[in-house]
Amino acid sequence: LIGLGKIRTGIAGLDRMLHGGLVAGRPYIVSGPPGSGKTILAMQFLKEGLEGGERCLFVALEEPPNEIKINMRPFRWNLDDLDVLDANSDIRRFEPTPIMEISTETEPIKMRALSERIRKTPDFESKEVSVHSLQQLLKSLFLKRRYHRVVIDSVTALKYFCMREFEEILTTQSFMRFLTEAGVTSLLTLELPELGSVPPEAFLARGEIRLHKLRDESGIRRFVSIEKYKGSSHEEYVFPFDITSSGIGVQVLAASTAAS
Amino acid sequence: MADRVSTGVEGLDAMLHGGLIPARPYVVSGPTGSGKTILATHFLLDGLRAGEPCLLVTMDEPPSEVKANMGVFGWSLDRLKILDATPDVRAHKRQRSVIDVGTSLDVRDMEDVQGVRQSSGIRALEVSVHSVQKMIKQEFSQRLERAKERYRRIVIDSLTALKMFSMQGEDSRILVQSFMRFLSELEATTLIVSEHLNASELETEFFLSRGEVRLHKWLDGNVIRRAVSIEKFRGSAFDDHIRPMQIGKTGIVVAATTQGPSRTSGSAARDEDSFLETRIIEEVSNVLDNVLRGIDEAHKRQIPIKNIEVAVSRAMVHFQRRHYQKALKQALACDSELRQLLGEAPPPPPATVPPRPPEARR
Repeated sequence: LIGLGKIRTGIAGLDRMLHGGLVAGRPYIVSGPPGSGKTILAMQFLKEGLEGGERCLFVALEEPPNEIKINMRPFRWNLDDLDVLDANSDIRRFEPTPIMEISTETEPIKMRALSERIRKTPDFESKEVSVHSLQQLLKSLFLKRRYHRVVIDSVTALKYFCMREFEEILTTQSFMRFLTEAGVTSLLTLELPELGSVPPEAFLARGEIRLHKLRDESGIRRFVSIEKYKGSSHEEYVFPFDITSSGIGVQVLAASTAAS
Repeated sequence: MADRVSTGVEGLDAMLHGGLIPARPYVVSGPTGSGKTILATHFLLDGLRAGEPCLLVTMDEPPSEVKANMGVFGWSLDRLKILDATPDVRAHKRQRSVIDVGTSLDVRDMEDVQGVRQSSGIRALEVSVHSVQKMIKQEFSQRLERAKERYRRIVIDSLTALKMFSMQGEDSRILVQSFMRFLSELEATTLIVSEHLNASELETEFFLSRGEVRLHKWLDGNVIRRAVSIEKFRGSAFDDHIRPMQIGKTGIVVAATTQGPSRTSGSAARDEDSFLETRIIEEVSNVLDNVLRGIDEAHKRQIPIKNIEVAVSRAMVHFQRRHYQKALKQALACDSELRQLLGEAPPPPPATVPPRPPEARR
């Protein structure tokens, strides 16, 4: 069944749903409403890579890296060797000064070396991140060293803050194409509104893992589904999952999966 | 728990497993009149009692009204610094005599607040993100110089107002992002009051905030019921139930249940139930509507969907018998199957073994 080279996501139940894992070298979307567990899932994916001795990169567009470091601490994962790229834009200046874009000299910082306090916008110049500059930066990083796994957290922030509105879809598509050509297996997190339609980015990726958040009398119930997975069979049902002190665990009973 | 900032409401702190993680921005959301400003004031009051410098940036209501409204609870907010960022009466003139608030207003102690500030006859003050940011920054550095201390807590009341007044157009996402970055860099714990204007649109502050406390208000017969829930809280576990809440003489009271899913008794439990029921009924009917639309579409295109029709009628029966969980599951399955049939997402290659449904858990 596993014809194409598949890699593990770091979540056993999810691998089962994916009939073995993700096809390597392609971009995938992890979607869900705020607070559904996307960043945690992405971190588990990277942790799995690190444990296998792979080089992994986390591109932070939504949260300052120092906070991510603190947030992941309760899970006690060894993320020391994770490369973290801070792609959060600085505070905007409202003066008509020339815009400084994030430069290709910017280097990712190892998780272990990250400061626990937030990086401050310098007094005289603030850096902005555009999709163009980020792509250049990643390109030069990928040339310097080969990354196996990359997480973009989130593609929504990339779209909201780093692109012009009229070319969003085209630019996102080109960004995913860029990731494919770089040969990295990438997870891109995507924020979903609580109601309404799915943003078009979902259609561009090779697969979409969707996290659902529902309220019932026992609190928030979480479910995960594979909305799409090109080039592979997968489970078509929606499965419950929990976030515990060891991360995300998907409850898939052996009897209910197809061939694994 | 150490290293947490109290919200000033005991029950809510319990829901947050101790309180907020310091130095981060959070959102308080809810419909008008649900108690957002009151909650924010609880938060400030708690800081003042501990001797922390606290700042209220008000854009909705003039400080005089805030003072009067909070006076009802008998709270002493005298040492609260308040930054009046309410825009003036617009001078509907054609000259560019508009000046930003930041250039002329300063921060006052709550105890000095008297009547509403009168708009100047000559020049009208307007509010922009830029000016608000500049004012806060100035106040921060002055405080640091004067008293060698930093503000620990800030409340922005409300971002909805700021967005409506001064962030029209396509830049608003970037402006909100920049503003939130600004607040993060101040390293104070910030509550941002904001209203969910549209549930189908993803608003910037909600996904950038490190957590969201949502206040609910609904009509049960002829009584207003209130509840509170945590929708998101980065870096911490939290109580994910919707807890009943009251606004009484002493402010907000949240019926805290320290133990997990043990049911609250009496009227509180009933509140919770009736609210949950409304929520889930909405959810199911939404999905069912989608499915029905899909079925119409499939008929139009003459795609055979007999099995889905059977499945959806089963969902309807569950719905009528008030088995909402089952109805929802069934409806969701129909929905995703229909979508694939209609080609809204490309169909996956056939699985080697037909998948069986997951067994019921727990």
